[in-house]
Amino acid sequence: MHYPEPISKLMESFMKLPGIGPKTAARLAFFVLGMKEDTVLDFAKALVDAKRNLSFCSNCGHITDVDPCHICQDPQRDRTTICVVQDPKDVIAMEKMRDYTGLYHVLQGAISPMDGIGPEDINVPSLLRRLQDEEVAELILATNPTIEGEATAMYISRLVKPSGIKTTRIAHGLPVGGDLEYADEVTLSKALEGRREL
Amino acid sequence: MRIDRLELLNYRNYESLDLAFSPEINVFIGENAQGKTNIMESLYVLSMAKSHRASNDKELIRWETDYGKIKADVYRKYGKLPLEITLSKKGKSAKVNHLEQRRLSDYIGQLNVVMFAPEDLNLVKGSPQVRRRFIDMEIGQISPLYLHDLLTYQKLLKQRNHILKQNYGKKIVDDVMFDVYTEQFIEAAVKIIRKRYQFMDLLQKWAEPIHQGISRGLEQLQIRYQPISGLQPEWTSKEMASFLEQKLAEVRKRELERGLTLVGPHRDELQFFVNGYDVQTYGSQGQQRTTALSLKLAEIELIKQEVGEAPVLLLDDVLSELDDYRQSHLLNTIKGSVQTFVTTTSVEGIQHETIQSARLFEVSQGTVKE
Repeated sequence: MHYPEPISKLMESFMKLPGIGPKTAARLAFFVLGMKEDTVLDFAKALVDAKRNLSFCSNCGHITDVDPCHICQDPQRDRTTICVVQDPKDVIAMEKMRDYTGLYHVLQGAISPMDGIGPEDINVPSLLRRLQDEEVAELILATNPTIEGEATAMYISRLVKPSGIKTTRIAHGLPVGGDLEYADEVTLSKALEGRREL
Repeated sequence: MRIDRLELLNYRNYESLDLAFSPEINVFIGENAQGKTNIMESLYVLSMAKSHRASNDKELIRWETDYGKIKADVYRKYGKLPLEITLSKKGKSAKVNHLEQRRLSDYIGQLNVVMFAPEDLNLVKGSPQVRRRFIDMEIGQISPLYLHDLLTYQKLLKQRNHILKQNYGKKIVDDVMFDVYTEQFIEAAVKIIRKRYQFMDLLQKWAEPIHQGISRGLEQLQIRYQPISGLQPEWTSKEMASFLEQKLAEVRKRELERGLTLVGPHRDELQFFVNGYDVQTYGSQGQQRTTALSLKLAEIELIKQEVGEAPVLLLDDVLSELDDYRQSHLLNTIKGSVQTFVTTTSVEGIQHETIQSARLFEVSQGTVKE
């Protein structure tokens, strides 16, 4: 099938998005042809704006349209607690909980020598600067429970320990509301390791 | 456990095959290169989701076809359990009781097999790698947690080696990072060592009387698992960890020179002693063979104890390698309790009653006749 060039170019652009193959791209492209010109212009502008106006917060490394980001600016927030996460998506997950009122620090990755990622390649130096400048009482390490996430958490806690700031690691184990029988052996053994007295 | 029926579709040299088995002994007779071992291999794949001899799954699919299939009706003590493995050029999928399993690790362990093939004689003679592989495969079959711990260990080893390589011959640039990975590496190493000790103890307990039986009470087999010289099995995890830490500190300079981790379970060794002599160095061919046989028979007992059911035994071309006495000892041990599959070029030299009462299959150029 041969498409006119404007359509094939549009399809090619859609296919750069995750989860979109040639068929979905064709369907989206033809849908755009049927849209009003204003709507299409708004759409295009939204795409460009998202790219142009979003940057990383100079303080915490989270994605933001203002610098410092809304969370860092919020006077209601507890400025003595910082939660360290690997990814901006982790901040959004934590915020959904609506129970954490402290600040964040987004590392944008984890230490992995195999992939050539050292502490300087992720936002560790900026975290250390923050800990010197701000009055921080507790640092919560919420990196992923993978080998690299675990190593990153241990690395940061080693660096921070001499300063006397309390560092904590989030718990891992069974998901809440799930059945014990559906958990895999590894999760179960982790949950058993982290059991506590009632 | 036992296998009642096996169906093969486009597997190796079989276009399609449908066999019903005896719950006791099944013997495949045929000339060389007719497809006897392929049947044994298919049973092994059914258990472990990978072949014991082919490194690439594509080799298992029949020439010029796109996919192959192994289907079987397995019976365990609580009833029938249909298993199915589909091999395609893109990968493989496994079904238990007609349900597709998301992870292959959920599949492994549904059917336990113990295979004894001519290569297994290398267990005693071969390189330490062969013995480490034996340990890992056997513990993995009875403990899925061990497989996870092993994977973690291997990844940490890779990460740590990478840091060492980056700093080739110099001082470590980021000490804290190296320490963090070393600490995690030690923690994973201790887990592996403890599990291996535990397993070796059990194996020793079963192998010793078996070996005595095979050698007519003349030989005393001792299995010695030696992770790092100086490490004591009765130590706590903490004591083992601080010992490893000390050992790693001692070789730090050499590790940097070579860019490799020099201490840890990836360098473990397993030794076998008969009446106090190292079988690998001083044992005769016959003793090495008997040792390998004792280990395999011990494995059957071990799985029986840990899983609660006897595994299926696969004897690929080894019966003819054993002398009359060992043959009948082996056949007496399995009689009536372990479903067994045997391949051989002829049954003539084998007098034992078990073989006389076995179900015989004739294998010739990719067809099987009862």
